Amino acid sequence: MSARLVPPGARELPALTELRLEVRAFLAEQVAAGAFVPHVDTWLTRWDRDFTRELGRRGWLGMVIPTAYGGQGRTYLERFVVTEELLVVGAPVAAHWIAERQIGPSLLRYGTEEQKQAFLPGISRGEVVFGIGMSEPDSGSDLASVRTRAERVDGGWRLTGTKLWTSGAHEADAFFALARSAPLDPAHRHDGLSQFIVDLRAPGVTIRPIISMGGDHHFNEVHLDGVLIPDDRVLGEVGEGWAQVTSELAHERSGPERVLSTFQLLAAAAQAMDDGRLPTDPGLGRHVARVAALHHMSFAVSTALESAEHGADADTAAAVVKVLGTTGEGDIADYVDTLTATGWALDEELDTLLHAAILQRPGFTLRGGTNEILRGVIARGLGMR
Amino acid sequence: MTDRPAWRGLADPTTPDPDLVAVLTELFTDYRSARPTPTAVVDLDRRLWQRLEDLGLTRLTGSETAGGSGGGWVDAAALLGLAAAAAAPVPLAEHDVLGGWLLEAARLPNDGGLRTVCRPDPSGVALNVTWARDASRIVALWEDRDQWRVSDVTVDRVGIEERRNLAGEPSDTVEFDLDDLEAGTVVAHEIGEQFHLRGALARSAQVVGAMERVVEVVLEHVRERQQFGRPIGRFQAVQHLVSDIACETALARAATDAAVARAAASDWRDPGMLFAVGVAKSCVGHAASVVVRGSHQVLGAIGTTLEHELHTLTRPILARRSEYGSLQDWDETLTALASSAGRDRLWSLITTGRAKAHRTT
Repeated sequence: MSARLVPPGARELPALTELRLEVRAFLAEQVAAGAFVPHVDTWLTRWDRDFTRELGRRGWLGMVIPTAYGGQGRTYLERFVVTEELLVVGAPVAAHWIAERQIGPSLLRYGTEEQKQAFLPGISRGEVVFGIGMSEPDSGSDLASVRTRAERVDGGWRLTGTKLWTSGAHEADAFFALARSAPLDPAHRHDGLSQFIVDLRAPGVTIRPIISMGGDHHFNEVHLDGVLIPDDRVLGEVGEGWAQVTSELAHERSGPERVLSTFQLLAAAAQAMDDGRLPTDPGLGRHVARVAALHHMSFAVSTALESAEHGADADTAAAVVKVLGTTGEGDIADYVDTLTATGWALDEELDTLLHAAILQRPGFTLRGGTNEILRGVIARGLGMR
Repeated sequence: MTDRPAWRGLADPTTPDPDLVAVLTELFTDYRSARPTPTAVVDLDRRLWQRLEDLGLTRLTGSETAGGSGGGWVDAAALLGLAAAAAAPVPLAEHDVLGGWLLEAARLPNDGGLRTVCRPDPSGVALNVTWARDASRIVALWEDRDQWRVSDVTVDRVGIEERRNLAGEPSDTVEFDLDDLEAGTVVAHEIGEQFHLRGALARSAQVVGAMERVVEVVLEHVRERQQFGRPIGRFQAVQHLVSDIACETALARAATDAAVARAAASDWRDPGMLFAVGVAKSCVGHAASVVVRGSHQVLGAIGTTLEHELHTLTRPILARRSEYGSLQDWDETLTALASSAGRDRLWSLITTGRAKAHRTT
C-alpha cells in the first residue's frame, strides 16, 4: 500500500521496560543530587564529559558496539529507550551524542580493524568525543557540493577547506570530514567524495567559534589548511563517501532527539498548569498526544530497522518522523510562549526553558536535513518524483 | 551485524492477521469498483451486509460461543479501517464492536439481527444514532442512577425521528420507553466507562482508514492531472502539500494502532486505555483538519462534485471525528491527565498511560 509510509507499530516488552526504568531511576537520583539542571535541546547544547563518562561506566554508551570493541553488544532498541530517558529528563548528553549515534555505527560498518580498536573502546567509555564535519559555507542542503579538497600525497591525503556548523568541535577530539577526493563530475555529482577521520588537534586545524543568537557557543567553523591525513585514517572506500554518509540517515533522522528536544518545557508547562501558574488549556493535551504518537512511530521505525535485513529502506519513514517531530518540538516552544503573560508573575524555571527553546527552535527543522528537503524525500517515497 | 542479540524479546510488532487483510482487501476493492456513483445521502447496503455476514465478518469480535468469529481488536480495527476506506455503508462498529460486545457483557442473547447502539439520556432520548432506522434492535446503554443497564430493544418499541449526519448517513433521534431501559440488565461499572472509549477508538480506526484512502486518491490525481504541460505532482508546492497530508495520516495511524495494540494485549483492562484512546482521538481529529482541507485543495474543483469519490471519504471523516467526544473534549481530557501527572510524571504518562510508576505484575 503506497499510503503506508511508516512500519507497523510495536509494543515494548517488559525486558525493555526494565532497562528504561533502571535508567530513569538513575537519572532521577542525578537530578535530585544536583548533578545537572534539566534543560532543553541538551543533545546539542549541554556538554558534560563527567556525566558522559558516568554513562559509560554504567554501560549505557557504546550500546550497539560489540563487546569485543569495549561496547555493550546490545540492540538499537535498547539504545532507543536509554536515549529517550536521557532526553526527556534534559540530561547533558551532547559530548557523546554524535559518537553514539553516528560515529560508532559508521566505524563498525566501514572502519578497518585497526580503526575499530583505536576508537570504539574510548567511545564506549565516553572518553573519546567526536564531531561530524559535513556542511560548509556554500554547502547546506546541497551536501554533494562540498568543496573541501582531499589531495593525494605520499602516505595519505591533505585536506583543505572549511567546515561550518560543526557542533562541539571546540570540545571534541576528532571528527569525520566529508571531502572531495576526485574532481566534480557534473553528471555524477555524488561520485568522488570520501570520508576522513581528522584529529582536531593536528597541525593545520583551526577552530573558530560561531556564536548563536542567544550568545551561546555550540557551533564552530573548522578550517583545514593542508591537514595531513595518513592512509589509515581514511574511512571506508575512497570515492564512496556519499553512500557511506547516507547509509546511516534512517537512524540519524528517526531517533527520539527529533521529537523530544523541548520535552522539559512541555513537562514544566504541565506542572505550571497544575499549579495554576499557566491557564489550563486544551493545547497542552494536543501537544502531549503528538509526542505520544511520535514516541510510538519512532519506536516502530527502530523496530523495523532492528528486525529487517540489513540495508532495509526506512529512509522515508525516518523523514516522516523528523518532519513531524521537529515541527512539533518547535510548536511546543511557540505554544507555551502564547500562554505566557509578561508582567504577570516571575517564573524563572519556566522562563529559562522557554527562552532557550525559542532560541533553539529555528535549528530543529534545519539540522540533519531541512524539512523542505525531507518533504521531497517523502514525496519520492510516495512515488511523486 | 549478524552477532547482534535477538530483538524479539524486546518488541512485539502488532499486525492484523494477513489472511484476513487479504480477504478484506479483495472484498472492498471489488465493492468499490462495482458500486454506483456517489450520492448525497447514503443508505445501508444490504447486499454488502449480507456478504459480510456470510463471511462471518459482521460478528468478527463476538466470542465463538456467542456465535461470533472470536476476532480481537487488532483484526477488528483492520476491518473497520478497510471498510471505511471503501466508504462502505455498513454498521460494523455499531453492530459488532459495540452492540455485540454490550450484549455479551450483559449476557443477553444475540440472534445476529442487525443492531445499532446508543446511550440514551435520563429521559430515554438518544441523539445521532447511526443506522437506527435500519436496525431490527437497538442496544441501549443507560445510566440508571449509579449503575449501568443494557437493554436490547426491538425497533417497534422505540420512536425514531429520521435525520442524517454530515456524511448523509442515517443518524436518527431515538426515543425509548423508560420501562424498557429500566428493565435492562445491570452490567459492571467498567462496561459503562469502556463504552465511550471503545466507541472513540472504533471511530478513530474508521477515520484513519478513510484518510489512508484519501492519500491514495490524492496520489492518483497528482499523477494524472496535467497543468503547464506536466503532472501537477511534479510541482514542489504540491509535493509538500501531499507530504503533509501523508504525514498527518501516518501519525494518526501510529496513535490509533498503539491504542488498539494496548487494548488487544490487555482486553481493555490496561489502566492506560483512557490516555491511549485520547491520544488516538486527538491525533486523528487534528489530522482530519489537515487531510480534508489539503486533499480538497489538491483535487481542485473536481473534488467538490457529487460524482467524485473524495467526498465519500472526507464527509465521514468529519462526521466521525466528532462522535464519542469532540476533539476539544479529548484534548481537555489529555490536558487534565497531563497536568495532574505534572513535570515528573508526564513521561510515565506518555509511555504507559499512567502517571504512577510502572508496576511489574
